[in-house]
Amino acid sequence: MQKTEAHFFNGLTAGRHEVHVALSDDRQAMIITGDTLPEPLRWSLMDLRALHDTSHKDRLTLTRHADTGDEAPRDPARLVLHDPELIAWMHRTRPGLFRTDLHKGTWRKVFLYSGGALVAAGLMLFVILPAMANTLALIIPVEREIAFGKVVVSQMERVLGRTEKKSLSCENLAGRAALTTMLTRLTENQEMEYQISAQVFDHGMVNAFAAPGGQVVILRGLLDNAQGPDEVAGVLAHEIGHVESRDATRHALRTAGSAGLLSMLIGDFTGGTAIALVGEHLMTAAYTRDAEAAADLFALDMLQAANVDAAGFARFFDEMDGLKGIEIPAYLSTHPVTAERAEQARGFAQSQSGTRPILNDAEWQALRNICR
Amino acid sequence: MSTTQDSMDIRYTGEKGPLFNLAFKTGLLTVVTLGIYRFWQKTRIRKYIWSSVDAGGDTFEYTGTGIEKLLGFLIAVVFLAIYIGIIQMVLFYAGLSVMVDPQRASPQEMIAQTIALYITFFAVLPFILYAVYRARRYKMARTRWRGIRFGMEKGAWGFVWRAMGYGFLAVITLGILTPLQTFRLEKYQADRSYYGSARFTQTGKWTELYPAMKHMLIGIGILVLSFALIGGGAVSENVGLIGFGGFAAFVGYVWVIIGGIHYGVQSFAYLTANKVLGDDIHFTAAPRTGFVIKTYIVGGLLVGLLASVAFGIVGTIAAAFIPLLQNGGGMIAFGIVMAVGYVVALVLTQALSLILITQPILAHYIEKLEIVNADGLNRIAQREAETGVDAEGFADALDIGGAI
Repeated sequence: MQKTEAHFFNGLTAGRHEVHVALSDDRQAMIITGDTLPEPLRWSLMDLRALHDTSHKDRLTLTRHADTGDEAPRDPARLVLHDPELIAWMHRTRPGLFRTDLHKGTWRKVFLYSGGALVAAGLMLFVILPAMANTLALIIPVEREIAFGKVVVSQMERVLGRTEKKSLSCENLAGRAALTTMLTRLTENQEMEYQISAQVFDHGMVNAFAAPGGQVVILRGLLDNAQGPDEVAGVLAHEIGHVESRDATRHALRTAGSAGLLSMLIGDFTGGTAIALVGEHLMTAAYTRDAEAAADLFALDMLQAANVDAAGFARFFDEMDGLKGIEIPAYLSTHPVTAERAEQARGFAQSQSGTRPILNDAEWQALRNICR
Repeated sequence: MSTTQDSMDIRYTGEKGPLFNLAFKTGLLTVVTLGIYRFWQKTRIRKYIWSSVDAGGDTFEYTGTGIEKLLGFLIAVVFLAIYIGIIQMVLFYAGLSVMVDPQRASPQEMIAQTIALYITFFAVLPFILYAVYRARRYKMARTRWRGIRFGMEKGAWGFVWRAMGYGFLAVITLGILTPLQTFRLEKYQADRSYYGSARFTQTGKWTELYPAMKHMLIGIGILVLSFALIGGGAVSENVGLIGFGGFAAFVGYVWVIIGGIHYGVQSFAYLTANKVLGDDIHFTAAPRTGFVIKTYIVGGLLVGLLASVAFGIVGTIAAAFIPLLQNGGGMIAFGIVMAVGYVVALVLTQALSLILITQPILAHYIEKLEIVNADGLNRIAQREAETGVDAEGFADALDIGGAI
C-alpha cells in the first residue's frame, strides 16, 4: 500500500482535513497524517469498517468499529478514500469491511420487545377487546341496537342486489302470516329480551342471518331447499339465539376495535392488507364457533319448548353439507357446517316426544311462496 | 472540490439501475419475510439516496439502522394497539349510541351520527401529526455530512397542537389561510433543527407565500364560476350553459391540481431560500414546477405502461396453467403462481415509481439548491448523539411517511 491522499473528518468539527494514509510498519494499522492534524492517527485494520449501500463508485468511506453511544457502534470520524488502487486493495484484503456490528444486548432487546408487543397485541385482541365488546353490547340501549340493526339489514340488502325500484323483502300476505305463525309458536311462553321481526329476502342463497336488535332475515334459497317447515324453524330458532345473546352487536363492536389494530400490526408492505383480512377472518371464525355452538343449544331448547321436532334442524345441516363448495361468500359464511352439529341435533331429536309440525301443509306452501 | 468559494453547489449522483436493483431486491425480501424486512429496506434505500447527495465534494450519510426501526415499531405498536383498539371501540359504541333509524331520523340526528362515526379519524389524528414530527426528527438525527450530525429538538406535541389549530383555520377559511399553516408549521420545525452546533432559522413572512398560491386561487375561481354557470343553466333550462359550465368545472379542477403542485414546489423554494444556518449561511432554491409536473406525467405513464406489461405477463403465465385446473394439485399450483406473480409485479411497480418519479423529482430539488457563505460550515462543531427509543415507529405503525 502506497502512501496516498485522502479526506479526513474528525467527527468533532465540519472542517475537511487533507491527509495522507499509509500502512504502518507492522502492517496491522493505517497511519493517517496531515498538516492540520495535531498528531498522526493510527487506525487498526481490524477495526476498519466501510459504509455500505452507498451509490459511490469513486470513493470508499471508512470508519472504525468502536463502542460509542451512537445508533451503531462506530467512531464518528470518517476517512474518505478516492484512490482506486487503495479502494481495490481494501476490498481484496478486508473481508469484514462491510460487516454490520450491533451494540451489546441488541438481540436480547429485540426478543424482549417482540415478546412484549406480541403479548400486548394478543391481550388486546383476545382478552381486552372481547371483554369490552361483551360489556358494551350489554349496556347499549335496545332502541339504538334496533336502529343499528336496520342499517345493517339495509346494507345487507344492497349487497344481495337490491335495486332502487325493487326491495328484496318478500311481502306475500299469506306467506308473512305463516312466518308470523312460526315465530309465535317458537317464542310464545319464552322470556324474550327482544321483539323478533323476521322477514324473507328474495335471493337464491341458502342462508339466514341475524342483525342486531331482533332482525332476522331468511333468504329464499333456504325455503326452496328445505324439505319441511321444521327445518326452517330450526334455523329461525338458531338465529333468534344469536339475537338474544347479542352476537351481532358484540361482533360489530369487536371488529371495530380489532380491525384497525390488525392492519397496523401487519403494516404497510405489499399484500399486507390481504394478510390483515385473512387474520381478521381467522379471528372471526374462531370467535363465531363458540357463538354458533351456543346458538345451536339455544335453538334446541327453543324447539323443545315449542314441541318442534329437531330432526328438521339436523336435516338442514345434512343438506348444507351437501351444498358445501357452492356459492357461500366468505362474508356470509358464518355458519360452518359440521357433521357434529347435525349429530347433536339428531341425538336431541331422538330424546324428543310429543312433537307436532310447526306449520300445516297449507301454511308451509304459503311460506314457500312468500316471494311470488 | 474546495470550499474556498463563497457558494457551494449541491449535486445528486444517484442512478436508476442500482437503485432499481436495490429497491426490487429488498422489496422481494420484504414480502418473503412477511413485512419484517421493510425496516431494512427503508434503511438501505435511504443509505443509497443520502450517499448520492454531494455538497461541495462531500456526500451525505444516512446512519439509521433497521434494527432500531424494528424496535421503534414494536414500542409504537404496544402503545397504539392499546390506544387504537380501545378508542375505536368506544367511538364506535358512541356512534351506535346516537345511531338512528335512517328512514325516520331528523337532519340533526343524522348529523350527530355522522360526526360520531367520523370522529374516529380525529382520535388518531394527533398521533399521525406526532408521528410526522418524530419521523422528521429521526431522519435529521440520522443524517450526517462531513461526519457531523444533523438534529432536531424534541417538540412533537407542540407541533401536534399547532398543526391541528392551523389546519382548522385553513379548513374553515376554505384554504385561504393555507400559507399561514404552511409557513408557521415549517418555521416551528426549522427553528428546532440543527446542523452540528449551528441552528437553522426560518425567516420570511407567511403572506409572501401567496404568489405561490396564485394558480390554486385561479383554479378555485374557475370552479366557483363553473358552478354558477351550471346553476344558472339549470334555472333557465339552458343546456348549452350547463355544458359550458361542466367544461369550465373540468378546467378548474385540473387547474386546482396543477396549482397545488405549483404551490408545493414554490412554497418549498421560498421557505428554503429564507432559511439561515448559524449566523450567515444562506441557501438558494430554484426548483421548477414544470419539471415536477412533467416528471409526474411522463414517469407516471411509464410506470403505468411497464406495470401493465408486468401484470400482463403474470396473467399470461396464469392462463397457461388453466388447462391444469382439472385436478386439485393444478388448482393449488395456479393459486401459487397467481399470488407470486401478483406480488412480484407489485414490487416491480413500487421500484419503478421510485426510480421514475421519486428519484428524479428529488434530484431536481437537490440540483437546484445552493449554499451561500459556505465558508461558515467549516466552523461548525459536532452535536451529541441522539438515541431516540422509538425511531420512526409511530410513522411506520400509522402507515405514513411517503416514498422514502
